[in-house]
Amino acid sequence: MTAPATTTPRGTAAMTATDDAPAISLTDVHKVFPASGGQSVAALERIGLDVRPGAFVSLLGPSGCGKSTLLRIIADLTAPTTGTVTVGGRSAREARLARDYGLVFQQAGLLDWRTVRRNVELPLQVGGVSRAERKAQAETMLDLVRLGDVADRFPWQLSGGMQQRVAIARALACRPQLLLMDEPLGALDEMTREYLQGELLRIWRDTGTTVVFVTHSVSEAVFLSTDIVIMSPRPGRITRRIEVGLPQPRTVEDRTSPAYFETVTEVRKALHAVMAEEPA
Amino acid sequence: MSIAPPAPPARLRGALAAGAPALAVGAAVVLLWQLLVTATGVQSFILPSPTDIFGALLDELPTILRDARVTLAAVLLGMALGGVSGLLGALLLTRLGRISGPLLTVAVILNCAPVVALAPIANNWLGVTSIWSKACVAGLMVFFPVLVNTTRGLRDVDTLHLELMSALAARPRHTLLLVRLPRSLPFFFNGLRLGAAASVIGVIVSEYFGGPSQALGVYIANQAALSRFAETWAGVLAASVMGLALFAVVAGCESRLVPWQRHRHDGDT
Repeated sequence: MTAPATTTPRGTAAMTATDDAPAISLTDVHKVFPASGGQSVAALERIGLDVRPGAFVSLLGPSGCGKSTLLRIIADLTAPTTGTVTVGGRSAREARLARDYGLVFQQAGLLDWRTVRRNVELPLQVGGVSRAERKAQAETMLDLVRLGDVADRFPWQLSGGMQQRVAIARALACRPQLLLMDEPLGALDEMTREYLQGELLRIWRDTGTTVVFVTHSVSEAVFLSTDIVIMSPRPGRITRRIEVGLPQPRTVEDRTSPAYFETVTEVRKALHAVMAEEPA
Repeated sequence: MSIAPPAPPARLRGALAAGAPALAVGAAVVLLWQLLVTATGVQSFILPSPTDIFGALLDELPTILRDARVTLAAVLLGMALGGVSGLLGALLLTRLGRISGPLLTVAVILNCAPVVALAPIANNWLGVTSIWSKACVAGLMVFFPVLVNTTRGLRDVDTLHLELMSALAARPRHTLLLVRLPRSLPFFFNGLRLGAAASVIGVIVSEYFGGPSQALGVYIANQAALSRFAETWAGVLAASVMGLALFAVVAGCESRLVPWQRHRHDGDT
């Protein structure tokens, strides 16, 4: 098996090899969907994007701008019409087959018939990891998301926020270099959402994983990200890339700092500019 | 619905509370039956009273139990045959791709056919006294509901789960074993529950057309031919209890093996 890196802790050896290479690189990616009546819809146009290892990049834009499609292209769940995608130095397909990334959706998507622990074990089980090793690994990940005490419960016995934390633990089970998240907090209430944003930052710091995060919330993108990629709708294009200069590690206090509000305003303006272009 | 789902410890009490009205109605029907028979003086060969039937049941209990055991063996064999072949058929059907749709339609249509009508033919093919002729009819009656339901379950997979498995580079074997099969279990049990009742009908009716000398269906048919109607009703009662018991056993297995589904039902009520 391609070593799921369960024994090698993330770090030096693996990192130096890809240190200067981007974690993700998209070059001139186009995506066209066929539509009714022989027509076609351009979902993404001329996408070029480099993500450096360890970055937390948010894809931000109005609904219909193709940000989820872009994430699915990186995940090799859908193929670009033209253009090249590399993930960790290999093609998106090779990266998927090597389980190089973890994926979190808006819905937790846990398997009802498995306990929380066995849900987290799923990627390891598919990867052929031994029973004892997967159990240990799952427990480590559940501790990371602070759900060690509910390992033997079933998903339907948990709240939505807890389910989403299980989904994050599952995505991290193979210790991937990359975490792809498609509006993972979108279905949660405001309080749970803010709490999990803090948790997500902590997990990001603890694991050193590169994160690509799809959202349509400006405040969420600013609080979480090192870089924000702003996209325009129909066809989806990258219109701006904003580096967030807020200090690390970020805390709840940063949500009320002047620098935070300045960045929020800058991002808002960039988004408004995108919307102004729209003839809608 | 406004009714709150019962907490797990209250489930048994909830089941009893739900069953109590049904029991009361059943008792009322039996009482009314008894009163009707005594009041109108209707002759026992037309409608025996409940006390006559219970009396006959007690008198004949050793015979009925002995015969019921033979019938039960055929019923269980039929359920096993139908359950396993229905499950395998469903797995096969989902692998056939484009022609699986039309095949499933054919199965749904055959599911509506009175399979029990095949009983004389099965007797002719496999032998009147053979357990296989009975089990074959019962098996067919179990096969179709299991096939149709399980196929539906194997297809009723959340697209999110399929994407997840795809993102994990899972082989089709993994997706089948870890997602599709567990997902289809409640559907399988639904088919098997329908089949349990049908299986008893299949074997009893099959035995009406002839069977081993010790079998519940043969007993019922013989008692009726001898105009011993209290005994006939006692046999029918025993067959009903068998059907109910099998249904309960399957439902019990289901709630044990598919706890997440029970939770879902709780949430629905």
